[in-house]
Amino acid sequence: MEVENTDLKDFKLRPMKCECNFLSKSDGSAILSQGQTVALVSVNGPLDIKMTSQSIEKATLEVLFTSKVGKPSVADRYKEHVIRQTCESAILGSLYPRTGITVTIQELEDYGGFTVCSINCACLALLNAGVAMRHTFAGVACAVDEQGNIQLDPDAAQLETARATMNFVFDSREKRLITSLTNGSFSEDAYKEALERCRSASQLVFDFYKDIVSKYSYVIG
Amino acid sequence: MADIYKLIHPVKYFNDYLSRNIRPDGRGFQEQRNIKLNVNSIKAADASSVVKCGNTTVVCGIKLELATPKAEEPDMGFLVTNVELPALCSSKFRPGPPSDFAQVTSTLVSDIIVNSKCIDLKDLCIAHDKLAWVLYCDMVCIDNDGSLVDACVMTLMASLKTLTLPTVTYDAETEEISVDTSVRTKLKVHGLPVASSFALYKHLQSTIVLADPSSYEEEMCGGIGANLILCYNKGFLCGSHKFGCCNLPKECEEMAFKIAKEKTQLVEEVVDVCIKNYELEQNK
Repeated sequence: MEVENTDLKDFKLRPMKCECNFLSKSDGSAILSQGQTVALVSVNGPLDIKMTSQSIEKATLEVLFTSKVGKPSVADRYKEHVIRQTCESAILGSLYPRTGITVTIQELEDYGGFTVCSINCACLALLNAGVAMRHTFAGVACAVDEQGNIQLDPDAAQLETARATMNFVFDSREKRLITSLTNGSFSEDAYKEALERCRSASQLVFDFYKDIVSKYSYVIG
Repeated sequence: MADIYKLIHPVKYFNDYLSRNIRPDGRGFQEQRNIKLNVNSIKAADASSVVKCGNTTVVCGIKLELATPKAEEPDMGFLVTNVELPALCSSKFRPGPPSDFAQVTSTLVSDIIVNSKCIDLKDLCIAHDKLAWVLYCDMVCIDNDGSLVDACVMTLMASLKTLTLPTVTYDAETEEISVDTSVRTKLKVHGLPVASSFALYKHLQSTIVLADPSSYEEEMCGGIGANLILCYNKGFLCGSHKFGCCNLPKECEEMAFKIAKEKTQLVEEVVDVCIKNYELEQNK
């Protein structure tokens, strides 16, 4: 954590905007924009699910991912898997045995960093739904360009010239790595530097969560 | 007795082993399972190999086809990978359309191959905008006992390394294609990407890194498949995929990198020796 003390202003993320309770019929929902990238997430649960998928020790989490265009693809299943595992590590599923929690993600605009945007949005929607969680989680994306420079939260133009892109998700308590997803090839040093910088930048996302939660909870706020 | 104990107290059974620094199958935490590799076992395919890591068995066959390149990439061929998990390989899978896990594994394997840049798709082009090779790489899992991605990548790379392409002449004027199967050239493969799976388990206050997990260990560690997959090609990382579960402290991360590097060397050696032996036999 060498970079922990450096001024957080060095780690600039694209501006984030969020609205909770965006959908009226779901238990919790959030729409989040990070720069021009926009994701909409709805959370329903704990609900009754069919016997075969019930688990006696914890809630069954189901993640559905819908892209803006095209048919559901194999790559979408992979994203669902990643997001499901991320949410599962945060949700206190043992409080809701034999039930199901459904997280539905709709892609609205993708101008780079959609994976982390949907993960952050899922976290806000879960908070909005009041699902018990061990910790919140925040995703940060970064890109490594040809010269080996690391660019936090890249936009679509920066992604085009990038040699590798990395997505990291951290927990709020100790900022430990929950999920990582990488694309392209890179050196181990670049990976470590990117990881530390994203770790520091995740604080900005957690601060943003705090702002949003206090805005929506009149009692605490 | 131990079997009943395992059924009644599954978590305690597993913890009892780990607290004595050993895994239920008798391995140490960082110990890999034995690797057995055989190349060109299927004569009907253009290249093939079978790998066995512990009990995990995966067969890979490559079929060649000719096609017209995509209009947006006129000088690129195609590399199509697919992982199949039939009901045969584990009680967890049902017959029918590919399960979610099969699709996830398929994506992971194809991502690793693309990101490692071990195959230059331009090498597969025969005539610009007219003709290119399509490599259909099908991997079928026969026995799934964990670390599936490792085995899939290994068998795919061993097959690609033995693949030879027939000479094709394309007449631009008459658009006539003639294939000469007697003169074959080896496909250029840059490096050898190797995937290393890990299962992370939270034991008391610390995180335990289990290298090359079996399916039982993967299940105990909460993930469907491995929690952490690292992939190296020519000293560069070409994939670091972590899927939830417990958090990864720094020292565990360092250890995982170290084990992954060691495994990369080991697999390189296995593949090289196997292919060398095969070629020696062919030239006899």
